[in-house]
Amino acid sequence: MDTVLQIEDLHKSFKTGFIPKEKKILDGISLEVKAGEIFGYLGPNGAGKTTTLKCVLGLIFPDKGNIEIFGQSNLSMQAKEKIGFLPENPYFYDYLSATEFLSFYCDLTAAKKERKKTQITTLLRMVGLEHAANLQLRKFSRGMLQRIGLAQALINEPSLVFLDEPLGGLDPLGRKDIRDVIVRLKEEGKTVFLSSHILQDIEMICDRVAILVEGHVVNQGPLQDLVSEKVQVTEITISGIGSEDLGDLGERYSAQGDRVLLKVFEEEKIASVLQLILEKKGRVHSLIPRTETLEDLFVGAVRQK
Amino acid sequence: MKILAIALNTFKEAIRDRILYLLLFFASVCIIFSRLLALLTVGDRAKIITDVGLASLSLFGALMAIMIGTGLVYKEIDKRTLYTLLSKPIQRYQFLLGKYLGLLLTLFIMLALMTVIFLILILLHNYPVEGSFFIAILFIFMELCLITAVAMLFSCFSTPILSTLFSLAFYLIGHLSWGLETLVNKMPQGGVKTVARFFYLVIPDLENFNFKTEVVHHLPIPPKVFIYSSLYGLFYTVFILALAMIVFRRRDFI
Amino acid sequence: MRKGLLILLLVLSCGLFMGVKSIADKIPRSNIPGASLIYIPSGKYLKHATFGYSSLMADLVYIWAIQYYGDHNIAERYDHLDHIFSIIAELDPRYLDPYEVGAIIAVYEARDPYLAFKVLDRGLEKNPDQWIFPYQAGHYAAINLKDYDLARQYYKKTMAIEGAPAIAQRLYADAAYKGTDFRTAWENWLEVYQTSDDERIKKIAFNHMYQVRTAMDLAELKDAIEKYKKIKGSLPDNLDQLKSAGILDSIPKDLDERDYIYDPETGIVDSPLKWWKR
Repeated sequence: MDTVLQIEDLHKSFKTGFIPKEKKILDGISLEVKAGEIFGYLGPNGAGKTTTLKCVLGLIFPDKGNIEIFGQSNLSMQAKEKIGFLPENPYFYDYLSATEFLSFYCDLTAAKKERKKTQITTLLRMVGLEHAANLQLRKFSRGMLQRIGLAQALINEPSLVFLDEPLGGLDPLGRKDIRDVIVRLKEEGKTVFLSSHILQDIEMICDRVAILVEGHVVNQGPLQDLVSEKVQVTEITISGIGSEDLGDLGERYSAQGDRVLLKVFEEEKIASVLQLILEKKGRVHSLIPRTETLEDLFVGAVRQK
Repeated sequence: MKILAIALNTFKEAIRDRILYLLLFFASVCIIFSRLLALLTVGDRAKIITDVGLASLSLFGALMAIMIGTGLVYKEIDKRTLYTLLSKPIQRYQFLLGKYLGLLLTLFIMLALMTVIFLILILLHNYPVEGSFFIAILFIFMELCLITAVAMLFSCFSTPILSTLFSLAFYLIGHLSWGLETLVNKMPQGGVKTVARFFYLVIPDLENFNFKTEVVHHLPIPPKVFIYSSLYGLFYTVFILALAMIVFRRRDFI
Repeated sequence: MRKGLLILLLVLSCGLFMGVKSIADKIPRSNIPGASLIYIPSGKYLKHATFGYSSLMADLVYIWAIQYYGDHNIAERYDHLDHIFSIIAELDPRYLDPYEVGAIIAVYEARDPYLAFKVLDRGLEKNPDQWIFPYQAGHYAAINLKDYDLARQYYKKTMAIEGAPAIAQRLYADAAYKGTDFRTAWENWLEVYQTSDDERIKKIAFNHMYQVRTAMDLAELKDAIEKYKKIKGSLPDNLDQLKSAGILDSIPKDLDERDYIYDPETGIVDSPLKWWKR
């Protein structure tokens, strides 16, 4: 598979404060994004995710390092023709209507004029905004702005799309819609670079991830490789059993009413718990084996730093 | 063309800015008020009306150029509309030129509106509409082109308030460069004089574009002066725009 | 606060400040607004302090000056007339109205023609092509000051400027006459007579020539009679005696070839008719 985005040893510091003090934001970032995958870029706030993106897009000039998109310099016009970008908390020209807005952005690319109209209609349908085609952007809700931002990122039919926190501030329905659009992009053969800290969504759709902590990539690779399938703890919600009887089978947490949440770390002990419940005529409300989540990996990586 | 697309978009945005209409309102008030002022004078009334009219066009035009120009680039950076724009296949200088031309178009229309109001007042008083009016107004527009470029330059790296102050300072210094000239001429020959003379040539001389007095007194303007003033305006504007492009080229948008 | 109370407060305070202002306006103030203009130092640098709006500033100062000089409450308003009008001249030297109006105010209200001359001289200095300034100065010199020498100088300046009206020369000649420079007067009236195409003006010129000639002749005769009296001890019986006594070579006649009238009892000579009755 081809590499569509290659970042090598990226360094960037900023001078901040009245007496300029240098603060290193990116300390040697290297990563690779392959064609046709959804790449997740994770990290806590302030790790440097947005800075990395801005370096890739030519909004910030790195101190050191090499960035290539489709084998060309990231600053070249040819590279820019093939990408699209949705920034975090996007803000656009309020007085334009959705159609005027997309038309303006289309004029800035090499897209053909004859196809402009159909392209705009298709995109508006794809992001679910056909009903608002002539509505002024100032009247758009947060979710609508996110969608039109996505439409703008796709206006030139890019092969590589950069999304910075695309699901931020959306309600669950909105998040599902955007997730579906992202998955559809992958099905169309596009590559998606997704920067986020909402781990559940990343887990759901990403193929490969990189975790960024304090300017370093601490972990990188396919999601299933990073997160082990070993069961770490089984959570059993039971009722009708007194705490004396449970002994040291597991950690106890009280749930609603007389229910108890029991966290069992050893697999062998699960059988014992079930045995106990059968004997004492208790009830099992739920039994959930938990594997290592991305969250665990994430938290662990951050704590290590 | 991409520059044109940005210019038209900038025009659409600028023309909606209410500050323009506020200034247009004040300019109209001044021009119409000149009628009352003219009643208080003894002698030539046309002079008063022409003076106030041209001064209003010049002053309010400059205010419009500065107030919109200083927000031109800053707003895009502050509101981050710039990010999506620059990630598209356009060069940074194309963006700057587009913004500049868009604002020029806006100012042209505003100046035209003020000119119409002025001409209506002149005609209402049955005074003749002189061709020289249009020449003075053309040079007022040229001065505005330069002031806009300066406002935009400051907008590339400074907040609107500071940019406004700097731009106003530029305007005032531009009308005072004579002071340096007098000083330079009085200096004894030598190194200091050469340095001072260099500064005198670099500092803008906006009096070059000021033909208000000539128009009001119906004095002839030699064609050489037109050509040289226009060229000066052109070259200085190009200089400022080039400076802006340099400042903007490698700027990090944090 | 309740809305009604707020509105009452609003109306009350508005009424009060309006009332106070109308009372305050009636109190005479020694310093009217804008009077600090008087303290602006004049000088050629003032023009540039207006950042390109000097023409407009000149208008505003002029309009202010008109109101200032129209206000009879200010007693010493004429003290700075020259200064204020010089400010206007510095700001816009080619603005012609203020020079004329300043001079008018100086002559008819301040009753100081020399002030008017200062203003008009400045006008001519900055606008050497404007004959109106020395022309008006000449009028003020002749009519208000009765200083015919000064008037002559101004009219001469007027004549030197292209486009000056023909009457300037006539006024020059007249002033010369009134200043008893008969030679100049005669020469100029002669020139007017010879160069004019207008019959009426020719007639006027000739009348003046008659007047000048008569005056010259009468002065000469008077002088001769005095001499005769000194030599002979008594007045001559007629004018021919002046010739026979060797005092005059010939007895002048007026331009119409008529004799001058001599009264032997009083010794007074006079012209046969008044010059303007010709």
